[in-house]
Amino acid sequence: MSEKTGFMKALKCRECGREYPLEAKHVCEFDFGPLEVAYDYERIAGALTREVIADRPQSMWRYRELLPVAGEPTVGCQVGFTPLVKADRLAKRLGIRELWIKNDTVNYPTLSFKDRVVSVALSRSRELGFQTVACASTGNLANSVAANAASAGLEAYVFIPADLEQGKVLNSLVYGPHVIGIQGHYDEVNRLCAEIAGKYGWAFVNVNMRPYYAEGSKSMGFEIAEQLDWEVPQHTVIPMASGSLLTKIHKAYQELSKLGLVKGSGWRIHGAQASGCSPISSAQKAGLDFFKPVKPDTIAKSLAIGTPADGFYALRVMKETGGGADDVTNEEIREGIRLLAECEGIFAETAGGVTVGVAKKLIASGKIPAEDSAVLCVTGHGLKTLDAVDGHVGSTREIKPSLREFEAIVAQDQAATR
Amino acid sequence: MAAERATRQKKTSKKAPPKAATKVKPVVEQSRLWLMYPPRLITTPVIWQVGSKFNLVPNVRQASVTDEIGIVCLELSGLRKDIKAAVRWLEKIGVSVEPVEINVIGS
Repeated sequence: MSEKTGFMKALKCRECGREYPLEAKHVCEFDFGPLEVAYDYERIAGALTREVIADRPQSMWRYRELLPVAGEPTVGCQVGFTPLVKADRLAKRLGIRELWIKNDTVNYPTLSFKDRVVSVALSRSRELGFQTVACASTGNLANSVAANAASAGLEAYVFIPADLEQGKVLNSLVYGPHVIGIQGHYDEVNRLCAEIAGKYGWAFVNVNMRPYYAEGSKSMGFEIAEQLDWEVPQHTVIPMASGSLLTKIHKAYQELSKLGLVKGSGWRIHGAQASGCSPISSAQKAGLDFFKPVKPDTIAKSLAIGTPADGFYALRVMKETGGGADDVTNEEIREGIRLLAECEGIFAETAGGVTVGVAKKLIASGKIPAEDSAVLCVTGHGLKTLDAVDGHVGSTREIKPSLREFEAIVAQDQAATR
Repeated sequence: MAAERATRQKKTSKKAPPKAATKVKPVVEQSRLWLMYPPRLITTPVIWQVGSKFNLVPNVRQASVTDEIGIVCLELSGLRKDIKAAVRWLEKIGVSVEPVEINVIGS
């Protein structure tokens, strides 16, 4: 492992293939295409075996040769290796032979899959000598940057739209970062943040550190395969915001396959969106290889990206693997949250409801055959989006401190289940 | 007393030597943008208009134009105020304008 670059070779343009040094850089100077980390797979094959992985602590860093850090990780060392839960009761409800939930609702430390990407981005930022990190976010990403920067002793700036709900702001403020609320429309805020990222010499996790940051998502795919005894699942259903998670889980399966670490081929990758923001799933259903931007209007705020940066690449992955996509209404999202909670005891945020709802549709339509096996990626905890289910999950029944009143309720319940 | 002090201050400030006028040279900036425009604008020479109306130099780096959507990756060079005015005009006529990073705001 090289001290300066680890197993990374270069940053490579996804459009034209031009290569760049492994710096804090995210677009190709020639065609402005996005840059991605390229690895030396021959050297990785000589260093990474199932036995080596099994001997390491249970975190996302057990696959560190395939992650973009030069040395040992220094931020978020406990992130990842979340449970893969066999969901028999939900499988029965959805009408499929075998179903698994990759449960990132319990990811450490901020209960969402963003801890994976942020720990990679901050570890690499430190290697590149940055003292200040930043992000622009409407939720999970801000929480994760704030928490991971605090534990690493890094200065953090978090930019948010000024009208963001107070609950979400508190989840970042508590860790002590500089939180800046920006007034204006989403597009204006977006452009200002791009300008700030260009002007200040900070590690902006989802701008100049994006090539490293995005690679952290692969760890979810590595873990799924290992937890299935080194087998790639037939079907993986993944929520799509920018589309990056979907493309990176596919890349993870490809890398494990290239290194001879997994059995199985011909996996299918399926995408899930909310109907109120479905540029990618709408394009997939229409058979297009490009998407049309939309103005988001959905309760699934963590998926509300109207112009998805990786939409084109996500469409290509679904097409190449024979996967499908669909989208669900707000009511179907809530139903998905309830189903997952009632059947498996997992309380997911709205993105989880989207994944379950879309999986239900894909199984019902035969795009995921009932005799197959599928993994659903659930990416964040339900405590983050309580307002979305408030008033939609039943209510308490009050009684006086009287045994007779309680017995009446039990009798009522027993009659209802007969 | 307060009126006296104010008068004194006013007199003092009148006596202060005038500051030498510094001429600020306007700085040319570059902005990297994705433009996405609807079918009704595909036949309109939008990029030419941006260049001529706002005194900017447009440089197309990537483009894909179909019956359904026009997508152009553009570098604009010029004064900051002109770039901002051009972006406002593009949005007004129905073109979606994103920074080259597209989603800087993560979820």
